[in-house]
Amino acid sequence: MLKKIYTQNFGLVGFYLVIVIIFSVLSPVFRTPGNINNLLTGFSHIGILAIGQTFPILLGGIDLSVGAILGLVGMATFDLMLIFGLPGYVAIPIGLLVGLLAGLINGFLIVRLKLNPFIASLATMASFRGLTYAISGRQLFPNLTVLAIQDPTYLAIDGTFGFIPRALVYLLILAAATYFLLHNTKLGMDLYAVGGNENAARLAGVNVNRAKFVAYLISGLCAAIAALILTSRMTTSPEGLGIGFELSAIAAAVIGGVNLQGGSGSTSGPVLGAFLIGTIYTGMNLLGVTQYAQPVVAGAILIGAVGYDQFVKARRKKDLQEQLLLQSLHQMKKGG
Amino acid sequence: MDEKMKRELAGFNRREFLKMSTVGLGTMTLVACAPTVAATAEGGTQTQSSKQAKDSYKMSFIQVQPHTVSTAWGQGIQDVTDVQQDINYKQLDGQADPATQITLMDTAISEGVDAIFLQPADSVALKPSIKKAREAGIPVITLNIDAPEAHAAHVEMNHYFGAMKIAEKMGEMMGGKGNVVILNAPPGIIIRDMRTNGFVEGMKAKYPNIQIIADQSADWDRKKAQDVLSTILASGKEVNGVYGVNDSMALGAMDVAKAKNLLGKMVIFGNDGEKAALESIEAGEMSGTQYTDVWQQGRLAAALAIGLATGGVSAKSFTHQGHILMPYVIATKENVASIQDFQRW
Amino acid sequence: MNKMILLQARAVSKRYDAVQALFEANVEVYAGEVHALIGSNGAGKSTLIKILTGAVLPDTGDVLLHGNQIPHGDPKAAIDAGIACIYQESNLVPNLSVMDNILLGRQPTRRMGILDRKAQRARVLDLLKKHDLSLDPDAVVQSLSTVQQKEVEIAKALSLNAKVVLMDEPTAWLSQVEVEKLFRSIRKLTADGDGVLYISHVLDEIFTIADRVTVIRDGKVVLSTPIGETTKGALVQAMLGRQLSSEVSTLRREKAEKQIGPVAIECRHLSRAGLFQDINLQVHRGEIVCITGLIGAKRTELVRTLFGAEPPHSGEVLIDHQTVHIRRPLDAIQRGVGLIPEDRRRDGLLMNLSMNHNLVMGFLPLVTRLGLLAPDLVRQMGQQQVDRLGIVPSRLEIPTRHLSGGNQQKVLIGRWLAGNTGILILDEPTVGVDVGAKADIYKLLHDLADAGAAILIISSDMEEVMTVADRILVMANGGLIASFEKGEMTQEQILNAASGELIK
Repeated sequence: MLKKIYTQNFGLVGFYLVIVIIFSVLSPVFRTPGNINNLLTGFSHIGILAIGQTFPILLGGIDLSVGAILGLVGMATFDLMLIFGLPGYVAIPIGLLVGLLAGLINGFLIVRLKLNPFIASLATMASFRGLTYAISGRQLFPNLTVLAIQDPTYLAIDGTFGFIPRALVYLLILAAATYFLLHNTKLGMDLYAVGGNENAARLAGVNVNRAKFVAYLISGLCAAIAALILTSRMTTSPEGLGIGFELSAIAAAVIGGVNLQGGSGSTSGPVLGAFLIGTIYTGMNLLGVTQYAQPVVAGAILIGAVGYDQFVKARRKKDLQEQLLLQSLHQMKKGG
Repeated sequence: MDEKMKRELAGFNRREFLKMSTVGLGTMTLVACAPTVAATAEGGTQTQSSKQAKDSYKMSFIQVQPHTVSTAWGQGIQDVTDVQQDINYKQLDGQADPATQITLMDTAISEGVDAIFLQPADSVALKPSIKKAREAGIPVITLNIDAPEAHAAHVEMNHYFGAMKIAEKMGEMMGGKGNVVILNAPPGIIIRDMRTNGFVEGMKAKYPNIQIIADQSADWDRKKAQDVLSTILASGKEVNGVYGVNDSMALGAMDVAKAKNLLGKMVIFGNDGEKAALESIEAGEMSGTQYTDVWQQGRLAAALAIGLATGGVSAKSFTHQGHILMPYVIATKENVASIQDFQRW
Repeated sequence: MNKMILLQARAVSKRYDAVQALFEANVEVYAGEVHALIGSNGAGKSTLIKILTGAVLPDTGDVLLHGNQIPHGDPKAAIDAGIACIYQESNLVPNLSVMDNILLGRQPTRRMGILDRKAQRARVLDLLKKHDLSLDPDAVVQSLSTVQQKEVEIAKALSLNAKVVLMDEPTAWLSQVEVEKLFRSIRKLTADGDGVLYISHVLDEIFTIADRVTVIRDGKVVLSTPIGETTKGALVQAMLGRQLSSEVSTLRREKAEKQIGPVAIECRHLSRAGLFQDINLQVHRGEIVCITGLIGAKRTELVRTLFGAEPPHSGEVLIDHQTVHIRRPLDAIQRGVGLIPEDRRRDGLLMNLSMNHNLVMGFLPLVTRLGLLAPDLVRQMGQQQVDRLGIVPSRLEIPTRHLSGGNQQKVLIGRWLAGNTGILILDEPTVGVDVGAKADIYKLLHDLADAGAAILIISSDMEEVMTVADRILVMANGGLIASFEKGEMTQEQILNAASGELIK
């Protein structure tokens, strides 16, 4: 399986290593275990969002609402624990359920009402965010402004297993599970089919609607998981939590080789993409690149990453085609 | 070279690369999982309760996002740190996101900085990070927005009493009666409560006939403030005074009043004392603001930090943060001219 | 074979906006028979097929299998009931493998939905062997040639073990060899008691393989009879409502009538490694040259090089006796060369744009004033082409994808005519085009040649080649191996040459 990941994201892995090497050489702090730990911890939630985002994009759609879902789930668990006094082990499953419900709503808009995914998820992005502000515990009960979440079960979500950041563990488990789903189950096959040629899939009897619902449910669920991690880390849930995260998730997914038109890509690439983004930002911070130049430099590096990956893919495709031609010529000469 | 050999070679190259990649990534993961004790040891020298003098120091300012106020703080800080000759100062963008700020804090801590200036995007969310910094011995100085976690010091524009004074001045200008709208900060930060409570209590005490008919968040933002006030006006209510909890929002209110020809009938107060606000007051549009010399605020924070860092004080010994209130002026048309050009930021 | 009705369309009607695509159509397929369905494009055949497979909902009428009604508009129900279909357009998922496409939606699984790759591979290999299809199960469909993709579609339909297999123009991209393979498979199906509904424009095929034939015209069934009791002429007449053969025969040009001008385009020692080598050919003004050969002879690659879509590795190209360096299509276009590619959907037309847009696309400078598109000029030029080419329907705003294959081809030709294209290259111009439109296109090409254009056509259709060409070149394995003047050759000679035996 690992080999398949490398061959799929050939160029990206190489590029990533180059970046790591450059930063490690230029900044002694970069190559410390502490920093690497920070990197893995600090961007795991983007990786999780990116994994979730892979599914709608695979179908040729998109989910712009993941940042808002994240905020909503965070706020929901915050309210449940601090206003209603529910224990963590009750709030956590409810939080996940909220994420699934949000995904369901997206699915409904896109499948039943046949709305364009971009527009549908834009609408839910605004609605979920508005809902988050509306149910904001700190706004409804100002005395909660400085109250932190103290439920031990909940706080145990973030942290470390020994030396390994827990968020990273959740990320890896999720990546492995979704990878397995995509490549070894009928559902995964259906997803690729619908993404590659929806009409062909429909005519072949694939349950297209079910595939679409599943994709948005997974996206919502991943947003919920990321929300739990972050709010556990922060011991609170700011109303604006998650604003802008959807863009990082989409960027990570695209960098990771998930084709925006649908039909190709996997969940291994987005993880790499998320950490690439994180590495670049952290590296720049450590090198003291001025904050105004950082987005420009990051953009340039990311264009480079995508460009290099595409270049390697295109070259491989060309080689493959030439091989095929040679083979067929060979066969013809033999009298086929 | 026939196809078979070509393919073998291609395969070989790929295998080689895969091998290298695996080794590379394996190393990184192993390194990442190394005991965190090594991290602290390498990250900084702050494991003892007192520190040795060093020949260079690092300081980082983690702001919420680029804004007139935080830029001016940064300039003030830099004025002082530059003079010291041995301080590397960095200003970082928190992108208005607590999660980003947490990551920046983590990076600063593992970098082993000698002091952190922090403008928390969320008071509670940054608590764990502040605690982490303190336990690593790094003094944290918060600017304007406090956090309920012990750290070195908090330097603020005197939110509570300043707001109270604003209420008094505003009530006076309104003739003791009328409706007031508060354009407020996003919820969840201590500064919001302080500036609001000070205002509300001051108004209640001196001018009980003045009604506060709305208190809505406009996210510190001028454009958002325009939208919020327009909506309130559209609902038909009469608005005689607007208190923008920062100048940007007050200026937004001013924009709306100007557009609707209500400038003469509305008393508009801001808070912070930006150049734009001062000029607006001079032009007779905004009615007043609480002016603080923000550069000075930065300089004071820097002085504190330098003293602590070079003096070998370990932040671990702080049980609660010290409080420094900045001197201020309630600037109105009458006295705004006394604020000189070089004091305007 | 017992004559039991297998599949039945009963009084099926369908209306699209103002057009009645089908009206009270009744078609039956008996067990063990091959039933051919023919008609001009737009007559309603494709609509009927789509209703039978559940892709489209009928307005009225029913579809019955073994007398049982099948739910309307439900592809899965149709498949489950035992109706398989090879559609005309590609219904493959490009990123998936051959194996996954053949069993699309029906991949075998173990518990919990986990794919059973081993079982899948075994089934697919078995199927390929049974029907003599040489495909690599792991190849990604996107990387296959058009022919191979078509074979995947065939395998896909055959894998369903259906009771009735519908085939919509299945031989469109196939060479003689593959067509034989397909017919063998069809015969296997009917021997097993299954039925086949076969749509095709190639009347010869129908007389070879079908047992009965039904003709649809303007949405209604106009004729249904055993194949032995009718003739080609009768069928054509039923399809068009008029006689055609006389038209076709007058199209054969007499040698004496031609006026051949100077050489318009010529290539010398043109080669591309691994594809074709040492090609020398000339096309004169006023002349129609056909290049024929088997699939895989690399004719398409040759003309793409002439047009500049791919660069040659050696050799030179001359236009009007001057050596030119064509590195990209724009160079070729500027020198008056136009190409109508093999896959008009993928490489030629912008399906969602209006017919008018597609017509004027290649020659925007002619319809712009000061850099801005002049709508009146656009309309004018579009109308000119539509009238000249006889494109039906003639409303300029119609999206190109709503036109029939023949009319789409006319639009492509029209696009090049709008400018001063003196050299026109056409790659398999009448694949998937109905008889009436074919005749129109041949006439058009003759007129163009008479007006002085140099025309180079790639065609695998022997009848077409014999009808249209002044000179015939045969290509095999990337080399030009024979050349015939009109009147000097027979079909067998050409075929022999194509398969590698030189006859000079």
